[in-house]
Amino acid sequence: MLAAGLSAAALAGSSYLVVREARLSDSVDRSLDQARFNLVLAGETLGTTPTAEEIALLLDAYERRGVFVTVGSTGQREFSSSLSVGARQVPSDLRRLVATGQLSYKRTEVADMRYLVVGGRVPERGTDLYYFFSEERLWDELAQLRNILLIGLLVLVLLAGLVGVLLARRTLVPVARASAAARSLAEGLLETRLPIERTDEFGAWAASFNEMAEALEAKITALSEAQARERRFTADVAHELRTPLTALVAEASMLAEQLERMPAEARRPAELLVADVRRLADLVEDLMEISRLEAGQTRLREEDVDLSSLVGAIVRSRRWDGRVRVDGGEVVLLSDPRRLERIVANLIGNALEHGGRDVAVRVGRDGIGAFVEVTDHGTGIRPEDLPHVFDRFYKTDPARATPGSGLGLAIALENARLLGGDIDVWSEVGTGTRFTLRLPVTKPLQGRGPDVSRHDDDEERQSEGEEP
Amino acid sequence: MNERVLLVEDDPSIREITTLGLTNAGFRVTTAPDGREGLIQFRNTPFDLVVLDVMLPALDGYDVCREIRRESRVPIIMLSAKSDTVDVVVGLELGADDYVTKPFEMPELVARARAALRRATAEPEEPHLAHGELEIDPGGFTARRGDRDLDLTATEFKLLLELARRPGQVFTRELLLERVWNYDYLGDSRLVDVAVQRLRGKVEDDPKQPRFIKTVRGVGYRFDAS
Repeated sequence: MLAAGLSAAALAGSSYLVVREARLSDSVDRSLDQARFNLVLAGETLGTTPTAEEIALLLDAYERRGVFVTVGSTGQREFSSSLSVGARQVPSDLRRLVATGQLSYKRTEVADMRYLVVGGRVPERGTDLYYFFSEERLWDELAQLRNILLIGLLVLVLLAGLVGVLLARRTLVPVARASAAARSLAEGLLETRLPIERTDEFGAWAASFNEMAEALEAKITALSEAQARERRFTADVAHELRTPLTALVAEASMLAEQLERMPAEARRPAELLVADVRRLADLVEDLMEISRLEAGQTRLREEDVDLSSLVGAIVRSRRWDGRVRVDGGEVVLLSDPRRLERIVANLIGNALEHGGRDVAVRVGRDGIGAFVEVTDHGTGIRPEDLPHVFDRFYKTDPARATPGSGLGLAIALENARLLGGDIDVWSEVGTGTRFTLRLPVTKPLQGRGPDVSRHDDDEERQSEGEEP
Repeated sequence: MNERVLLVEDDPSIREITTLGLTNAGFRVTTAPDGREGLIQFRNTPFDLVVLDVMLPALDGYDVCREIRRESRVPIIMLSAKSDTVDVVVGLELGADDYVTKPFEMPELVARARAALRRATAEPEEPHLAHGELEIDPGGFTARRGDRDLDLTATEFKLLLELARRPGQVFTRELLLERVWNYDYLGDSRLVDVAVQRLRGKVEDDPKQPRFIKTVRGVGYRFDAS
């Protein structure tokens, strides 16, 4: 629109100027011609000392020739063919030029009328004659032309604007709409579609877009359903495995009690059976746990937990007392004791397995929160394996059969995160490994622990207590 | 020894091995494959302990538990699928004394069974306790308020006894789990909390404002002789 407007304006402007120039110079040429002729006539009509009769005769002749005002001065007298225009109205600079003998002209205005004054000297007659040619009509016509051009320009500009708006509406809006639709699709609103309102390229574009969106929606829905089915399957499988597994575990546990009484050939297979049943049970348990964590079906308990006693209880209940050293004072926080137990038991179990002897557990608090640090002096983890230790089923040494399910650390990390914490690992080949479980402590610690106990309906005004 | 145990479990393999294990441990075991049969058996013969699977056909474990509790204070141990969920608490609230999660090792179930039976044993050598209108008779295994028999289960009774033996003393949940439920390590503190809740429901005038069994924030529970 701007382009159209500017070019139209330039065109109109330049045309007007050209025409104006032409008309004006045209007027000058004609007037000059007329003036030359008039001067010759004056030379023929006037004597060396023009008399009034000669002047009147001349003026008469002029009248027959055209419509212009003649103003003259002979030396003795000044005369004019009109009452309104006199010698006084002759511009002085024109007078001076004419005095040099040149035929000159100048434009001037007298009583609101625009004239082109052409002046010249009649040779040997001592008379200067000035002819006032009215250019009123000329200027009026130019003004008209100018107005017409301006109006035309305005109309053109308006038209261009209108056309621009219409065009924009036709192209820019559908384009904007399509971009918005693409964006909303990308953000996951798979039901996004474009309305098909036209039969032109935009309509076709909208139709293709919709086709694509449809396909995308179908694919993604299918994928999510497949994923959900898979998750349900894993959960169902693990659940279904529970029953035969329960029988197996109970049976294996009874065999385990009878190992000494078995005949030699039966004892070893029975031992292996017991161990393998335990392994299977752990694996199924881990699978169920991981599928529950993935499905987000986890319930968190909130209790006051003293990390030190928890760790101590874990070590004692698994009879690891001889091989695990626990350091650290009372660290009480609000958390889920069962999950904590799982995490810590896994870390210590791993440490014992890979480290063998002298696993050190340190419980404490630092600027960030509470922590449980499990350090072993085992072979360590290779740097290339280190970022993968928390992956599912990741085996640092594929050849080696580990008693674990391969999910232990993955579950431990998930659980840690669920509790608002994290686990980090440090290791050096040949020196050992340290896993640190970090937990947030949201309430300030006191000697006994946080003030709020989640299980109680009532409240004590004063806290009493001695341990028995 | 030779206590009678009712085992209600639908899976035949689990039923068989559990029966074997309990029998080896010296119990006399009767089994039932579903809830309805279980109740029939229960009403037929007196039992000293009921081991009850939660997921049963015909009548589920919770309903069986509820029914049994209407008529008896016999110790009930639930066999539950997982300990993570609300299932355990529901069972405890219905009056079960303890729970064992599947899969379980036989010695574990036997230990829980023995602990439950021990709770149900009267202790005649223990002295009577009287606190205001509350009267506890360890020998008679009764507790009353005024003339009203409180009708406590064995576990609830033992819990009350433990607390009331030392009025003013604060007991942590861990301690109670050890003394009453016989858990060495890492017992489930919900056992204590639900039992206290049930106890309050039976002992107190207003369980929400207990007079006798007080909570000590952040620590545990305490019996007030008032």
